[in-house]
Amino acid sequence: MSTIVALSTPPGRGAIAVIRMSGPEALFITRKLSSDLDNVKARRATLTNVQLPTTHETIDEVLVTYFNGPESVTGEDVIEISCHGSPVIVRKILDLTVSLGARFAGPGEFTLRALTNQKINLVQAEAIRDLIAAQTDAAVKQAARQVGGELSRTIASIEEKLISVIVLLESAVEFVEDDLPSAELGSIKATLSSVSDDIFNLADSYSAGRLLQSGIKVAIVGSPNVGKSSLFNRLVSRDRAIVTDFPGTTRDTLSETIDLEGIPVLLTDTAGLRETTDTIESLGIERTQQAIVDADLVLEVIDASDSSGALVNRDQNRSTIRVLNKCDLAVSKDFVTEKDLVRISALTGEGIESLRTAILAFLHRGDVDNEGLLVTNARHYDLLKSAEDELDNAIGALKDELSEELILVSLHNALKYLGQITGETTTEDILSQVFATFCIGK
Amino acid sequence: MSFDESFDVIVIGAGHAGCEAASAAARLGSSTALITLNLDLVGQMSCNPAIGGIAKGHLVREIDALGGIMGRVIDRTGIQFRLLNRSRGPAVQSPRAQADRMLYRSEMRRVLEATANLSLRQGKVVDLVIHQGEVVGIDLEDGRRFGAAAIVIATGTFLNGLIHTGRRTYSGGRTGEPAATELADSLKRLGFPIGRLKTGTPPRLDGRTIDWDRFEPQPGDVEPVPFSFATDQIEQQQIKCYVGYTTSSLHDVIRANLSESPLYSGKIKGIGPRYCPSIEDKVVKFSDKSRHQLFLEPEGHDTNEVYLNGFSTSLPAELQQDLIRMIPGLDEARIIRPGYAIEYDFVDPRELGPDLQTRRLRGLFHAGQINGTTGYEEAACQGLMAGINAASFVQGRSPFRLHRKEAYTGVLIEDLITQGVDEPYRIFTSRAEYRLALRYDNADERLEKYGRDLGLVGDSDWDRFNARRDRLAELRQALENTRFRRSEPKYAALQAQLQTDLGDVISLAQLAKRPGVTPDFVRRLLPVLVQAGLRASDLETSLADNLYEGYLRSQATTIERLYQHDALRIPSQLGFRALSGLSNEIVERLERVRPSTFGEARRIPGMTPGSLSTLLVHLSSQQNSV
Repeated sequence: MSTIVALSTPPGRGAIAVIRMSGPEALFITRKLSSDLDNVKARRATLTNVQLPTTHETIDEVLVTYFNGPESVTGEDVIEISCHGSPVIVRKILDLTVSLGARFAGPGEFTLRALTNQKINLVQAEAIRDLIAAQTDAAVKQAARQVGGELSRTIASIEEKLISVIVLLESAVEFVEDDLPSAELGSIKATLSSVSDDIFNLADSYSAGRLLQSGIKVAIVGSPNVGKSSLFNRLVSRDRAIVTDFPGTTRDTLSETIDLEGIPVLLTDTAGLRETTDTIESLGIERTQQAIVDADLVLEVIDASDSSGALVNRDQNRSTIRVLNKCDLAVSKDFVTEKDLVRISALTGEGIESLRTAILAFLHRGDVDNEGLLVTNARHYDLLKSAEDELDNAIGALKDELSEELILVSLHNALKYLGQITGETTTEDILSQVFATFCIGK
Repeated sequence: MSFDESFDVIVIGAGHAGCEAASAAARLGSSTALITLNLDLVGQMSCNPAIGGIAKGHLVREIDALGGIMGRVIDRTGIQFRLLNRSRGPAVQSPRAQADRMLYRSEMRRVLEATANLSLRQGKVVDLVIHQGEVVGIDLEDGRRFGAAAIVIATGTFLNGLIHTGRRTYSGGRTGEPAATELADSLKRLGFPIGRLKTGTPPRLDGRTIDWDRFEPQPGDVEPVPFSFATDQIEQQQIKCYVGYTTSSLHDVIRANLSESPLYSGKIKGIGPRYCPSIEDKVVKFSDKSRHQLFLEPEGHDTNEVYLNGFSTSLPAELQQDLIRMIPGLDEARIIRPGYAIEYDFVDPRELGPDLQTRRLRGLFHAGQINGTTGYEEAACQGLMAGINAASFVQGRSPFRLHRKEAYTGVLIEDLITQGVDEPYRIFTSRAEYRLALRYDNADERLEKYGRDLGLVGDSDWDRFNARRDRLAELRQALENTRFRRSEPKYAALQAQLQTDLGDVISLAQLAKRPGVTPDFVRRLLPVLVQAGLRASDLETSLADNLYEGYLRSQATTIERLYQHDALRIPSQLGFRALSGLSNEIVERLERVRPSTFGEARRIPGMTPGSLSTLLVHLSSQQNSV
């Protein structure tokens, strides 16, 4: 029996999140999360820092509770980790448990284990049966819905390429007496490499991608005294930058990482752009220019009350959101009808959610990372990585000139993993492809 | 009820399924009758005179390991043996042999006649005798009534057979032989769901009218690999087959005459196998191919008849003659028997339990083409299983079944009874999830013990099996224990030869897994004592076990991870309709198939993830309470 892990609280941001792990390895894995957990006691909560075993970097301060089987919810050893409710933290902890030997739970799997171990009775099972059925159907449909069906389309096209290779190799194995064109090893290698790349890129859009590793960089720019620092503080949610009424207060750039739906965003407040003779301020402006160059996205702040505040060093190649600040004051008639503006008040907080949404929309458009953000489900990511491993095995086997049936083991495994996301390919499906492709039969 | 004769088991039909069924039931101690329309045609090969091929050869080896007869008969009557896929891995290699058609059937009849408890009877079965919901006997056309506690129907293409050549159609089970129409009606009356399938066969030519020099000879293996584990030596004189091709002008003529083809005029309603297409189908569906391969297969030592493999057709006989003459080398060729298509009835195999017994009628078993399969080997393995289970049924023993993890026979039967068929079912290695484990060379390792437990494997075969198992164990030891260390002189030579670093120490078992290391290379590295008297077949089996073990482990991990619930048993009395949350459609699918495990249910076409989890929840909750 394997050890399964899943986020037990709803996904997204919250005060806390609870990760639950169940199975024979649960305790073993937990002990690797922190040195404080070596002697973790049953039914006691332990406050500790979860650390990456390699770098000892602290992921989060968490509360770990151990419920020993069979006196647990599933009847097995169960560990509950309460961490802070940030999707980034949750993912890091989940990834860590998986790297230590756990596997992402399928839909309803905790409940099934509880059932198997008679922790719930048949009446309770009847009650939750429909719930699990709904979840399972939802899991398959999820792929179809994800980002407008793009995930399932992407996987379908990957599967199509993979199946074309399987068809060639299967035909060579099964129909040796038929007059088939010999399978071109070079082109098979090329196709498999491209399938592997596709899967890598797709999986990469989940966690290994740059979004999660380093986040994106957003620079707040604008003329002096339009409220850049106020906006910065509003987004950072505390008074990080010094705000005064005097134009040119911010002399240096100031950066802070914020978490936007699980994506780290490095927010940079910059000095207002204007002609100046002040040496320090002009140094600041130079840094501002550099911040604009470095940024993935620029928030260009405009003072709603001052139509003269036009811009200033507009880099056409830079993705920009134009933010009209101070909308709590009288808005200059020049801006009343203008579109493509996000209207906010950094002072009152009005419109800040719209701005967050606009930044997220920009992220999801994929301009930051060409691979987009297709994969958002940890289980899907896990399956994709498994498929990728299998493909690499197949490519290795091909290079070693191993016989087709060995290469096919890995290819069928890969197809099975992909099938868990979008629906399985049956033997009949593959045979149909074979007969449609080749004239088989004496 | 009075019977002219009474038996424990009656087998209807003496084709490849019927012969195995009758032989097995009789040898298991049941008095058995094998009834056929024509006793001179026992074990007749209706189509090509060949046994084996990829996956089919595996089946024959399995039949042999279980104690069946097909392998022994073909070994004594085969006139060309080839081990297919020699260049590939051992799991996908498989023996194939051309048979002397007449010799095969006379040897099959000799074997059956030498079987104790087995009676051959000629006659036409027209009805089943039913008493209190169980089948108790059969009625023959000539008025005789035989009694039996179990009946195996293995009627092949004879069940309501209809033969087509061109626009002519006539009732028949095989060309020149009558169809079993009354029995088909009888099954229909009993309420069995019946469908229609189609197959075809090519013309047979007069060998004296063939310009053989214009074909490319295809010799058999110099050292034939037999089918039976008991065969040491192939005694029959070996012959050559020949390869030729159609031409594009021939294709044009076929296309111009498609209206003459019952396949294309809509006369044939039955569904034919896609992997055994007629020449009409090949020309239409693969119109870009300028030629199709043909095989000239002599039908035996004492006949001029030559089987034109690859040219299955139901075009009018006179047109067949014209077309044949357009094939280079067949300019003067004469047809002895024209090709034809045949439609026949089959019974939905989802009517069957894993023992091949119908759920509708206790004591009735179906085997072979009646279950929607095609192929002699597919038929024979079902016949063997049906014969075993018919005898077990009569003797009150528990049914015998094989899991898909352990035999192609298990794959085939589970596929049939859970998926049903919509075209003639042929075995392929890709149908087996555990292809690497199901090799032709280890069928004895997998199945001989079952054959012995059942009582079909005799003492001498059992001794032979045990001796081989001991030899394999020793060989395995030798492969593990023969090690090469960096400090040893032999190591440097090996490293130089393989041009790769071998680590500080490497065992012969590890070395053997490296690409490019041949069995002969391994043999020469074995201890001298082991080399002496080493059998090539033992070394091959040992190396195959060694090669695949890692792959099998990784595959098992994947399957355990994705399909961990497959082994959950479904109680046979489980009422699917009582499970809330299943749609009527799903309930009907489950009730038709009656899967015995969750894995079988999962493989039923059309099952939704939601319905599977509903089932899973129910099974999990019952797991400990049952």
